[in-house]
Amino acid sequence: MIPSLKNANKRSPLNLKQRTLFKILISIVFLAIVILGGVLLDEGRIVTNLNERNSAPSLKHLFGTDWLGRDMFTRTVMGLSLSIGVGLIGAIGSTLIALFLGMAAATMGKMADRLISWIIDLFLSVPHLVTLILIAFTLGGGFKGIVIGLTLTHWPSLARVIRAEVMQVRSAEFVQVSQKMGKSRWWIALHHILPHIAPQLLIGFMLLFPHVILHEAAVTFLGLGLSPHEPAIGIILSESMKYLSSGMWWLAFFPGLCLLIVVRTFDQIGENLRVLMTRTHD
Amino acid sequence: MKKKLFSVLVLAVFMSSFMLGGCNLFKSKPSGEESKAANGEKKDELVLAFDSEPEAGFDPTTGWGRYGSPLFQSTLLKRDDKLKIVNDLATSYKVSEDGKVWTVKMREDVKFSDGEPLTAADVVFTFETAINNGSVVDLNGMAKVEAVDDYTVKFTLKEPQSTFVNSLVATGIVPKHAYGKDYAENPIGSGPFQLVQWDKGQQVIVKANPEYYDKKPNFKQITFLFLNEDAAFAAAQAGTVDLAYIPAAFSKQKVKGMRLETIQTVDNRGIVFPFVKSGEVNEAGLPIGNDVTADPAIRHAINIGVDRQALVDGVLEGHGTPAYTSVDGLPWWNSETVIKDADMDSAKKLLSDAGWKDTDGDGILEKGSLKAEFTLYYLANDAIRQSLAISVADMMKPLGINIKLEGGSWDMIAKKMYSNPVLMGWGSHDPHEMYNIYSSESAGIEYYNTGYYQNKTVDEYFEKALSSKSEKEAIEFWKKAQWDGTTGLSAKGDAPWAWLVNINHLYLVKDGLDIGDQRIHVHGHGWPATDNIVDWKWTK
Repeated sequence: MIPSLKNANKRSPLNLKQRTLFKILISIVFLAIVILGGVLLDEGRIVTNLNERNSAPSLKHLFGTDWLGRDMFTRTVMGLSLSIGVGLIGAIGSTLIALFLGMAAATMGKMADRLISWIIDLFLSVPHLVTLILIAFTLGGGFKGIVIGLTLTHWPSLARVIRAEVMQVRSAEFVQVSQKMGKSRWWIALHHILPHIAPQLLIGFMLLFPHVILHEAAVTFLGLGLSPHEPAIGIILSESMKYLSSGMWWLAFFPGLCLLIVVRTFDQIGENLRVLMTRTHD
Repeated sequence: MKKKLFSVLVLAVFMSSFMLGGCNLFKSKPSGEESKAANGEKKDELVLAFDSEPEAGFDPTTGWGRYGSPLFQSTLLKRDDKLKIVNDLATSYKVSEDGKVWTVKMREDVKFSDGEPLTAADVVFTFETAINNGSVVDLNGMAKVEAVDDYTVKFTLKEPQSTFVNSLVATGIVPKHAYGKDYAENPIGSGPFQLVQWDKGQQVIVKANPEYYDKKPNFKQITFLFLNEDAAFAAAQAGTVDLAYIPAAFSKQKVKGMRLETIQTVDNRGIVFPFVKSGEVNEAGLPIGNDVTADPAIRHAINIGVDRQALVDGVLEGHGTPAYTSVDGLPWWNSETVIKDADMDSAKKLLSDAGWKDTDGDGILEKGSLKAEFTLYYLANDAIRQSLAISVADMMKPLGINIKLEGGSWDMIAKKMYSNPVLMGWGSHDPHEMYNIYSSESAGIEYYNTGYYQNKTVDEYFEKALSSKSEKEAIEFWKKAQWDGTTGLSAKGDAPWAWLVNINHLYLVKDGLDIGDQRIHVHGHGWPATDNIVDWKWTK
């Protein structure tokens, strides 16, 4: 560990920790701008303007306009902030399920462990995009359908990691001692286990995020999610497919690129957090 | 594990693309011959790209052939290019004094494609089967049908109904001797064509029927390909089809060797408003009525305020016409129903006269505790309906009417449509459709009159139109039902609908292919073009 730190010092005035923090900070600021932009941008900018249909990117319309004359920049930012919102709810829900099941599997005895492991295997055996489509479709689509679908499908791998972590902590000496001294299961779970798996949980959450956003876009792209007039990024991308053959590249290019950047930023934050956490954790 | 899955996926994609490629290779073979033929001598084959495959098959007793030519069967009567009713299988028909008994005399020289003669027994069988099937074929007004002799059929109606003639126009006659469970897939009839092959989800191939008694088609074989919009356009660009339906969005692009035919239609789109106040529920427990749209001022303001021409230019790329009723341009259309629209000032005045004021300054009008807002439902997977809904909602904002949008499937809309405005479309050559949409009799029956519109005068005109002896007499009353100078079902009268546009049907047609005088098309893109398919020919 120490040689790598030295190397880092040679290359830049900041050490690795500071640089990681800096990266995280920039990413967070960027995402905050996107979210704020989505909230603050005037709805009036995506009003249809049938006189300015299909115009290419210009200073007035940075990302061009669509076939109803709506400003694509505004739609994209709104779509991204909607996607981030959906992603946030979905990722939080999934993380909570993973935490609960992971803890339960590791602390509630052999039968519970078997059952939960079986459920995890079951969910992992089917590609979760398929399960997601199934759930969203059964619930009749819409915002509710997507959020519940995302929540119910993204927890298994994180749950497995947490189960393993909890098992490791549980067999640690101080937990054994605590148990022998008559502390209740709940007390141990709250005071010994939870603090230890918190970093894993946070990183897991951050890494779930881009995943969830992409899948939200995928499902709305397939038309199973929100109403097609809402500015969701998946909807924007699926609309643009129709116009690609008529040469309106900006409809797909900018929103797609923005989605990529946002997802990558989340991934960055997650990765950097992992570096930071495992360091302090050790 | 993930990697493995990914590679399996990649493999699957490759395989399927090869298979698709294979299909294309297969299809492009005849097209090579075609282009040769198009360059040189005349050819007797035709390839058409349509969207809507008749998934239920080709059985007229369950609805086949109501839109466009039934191809395989022929009908007692038919409409000519001017939409006048003329004889087909029939040689004459008579309606009794009370309008209840229709006697049809038939040609005696007609044979089905299997060589058997077509007699009155087949006609009786067809109509009895259609009634028993209880499908979209609406024969509720018919009490019985019987054969007087081998070539005379007598229809007895429960009530006089002048629109019954449309049942004779639309119902293809099926053979009694060769009708069975699989008839829909093996249609035998007396029409201009015979089915050769039907690959479900892909294509239908038909050939000329040698036994056909009337003008023979100019083509020995016609292939109908069922392609989505993109694929149809791509096929046109590749030159593999002679005619392709295309959406307005593609109309600006030129395709070499093909010309764009834009055909006027009554394929209309409009907003149907709940006409009554809320509070009631129907038998299924679904709520009826909407307090905001029950106010005539709101409905009239939307009708006056909306800029129909802008919708045509903007959403349909100019390929359409402003719509004022459900029957624009048809013989029973009352041209007085045309109103001046895009008139925001009059609309604003109308609203304020009716007591709608913006008291809290949020840009939305109020009347007492009622806010001028409602949710407009539209079919989510239809891009034109979506565009119309968005555009209208935005057009109404300056008026202070807040239209929220919700896209959904028909199943979802069906639960909401009695209590919320819906963007719908109709369009038929049968004036009975107007009765279905507007009469109080059909209020709340499936998608008919979802707004529970009711006007006694209009209902009386409907009654008179239906009890007329002939379509000619009835036309007078159909027109009066729309607007008689004081009231009516159009925007001048009660305005239970805000009709927006008639969507022109666009086809890319290969140069040199003459598709005749197309009639005003009905609802549905594709099949209506086949109405006059026997007139199509190559001109060079």
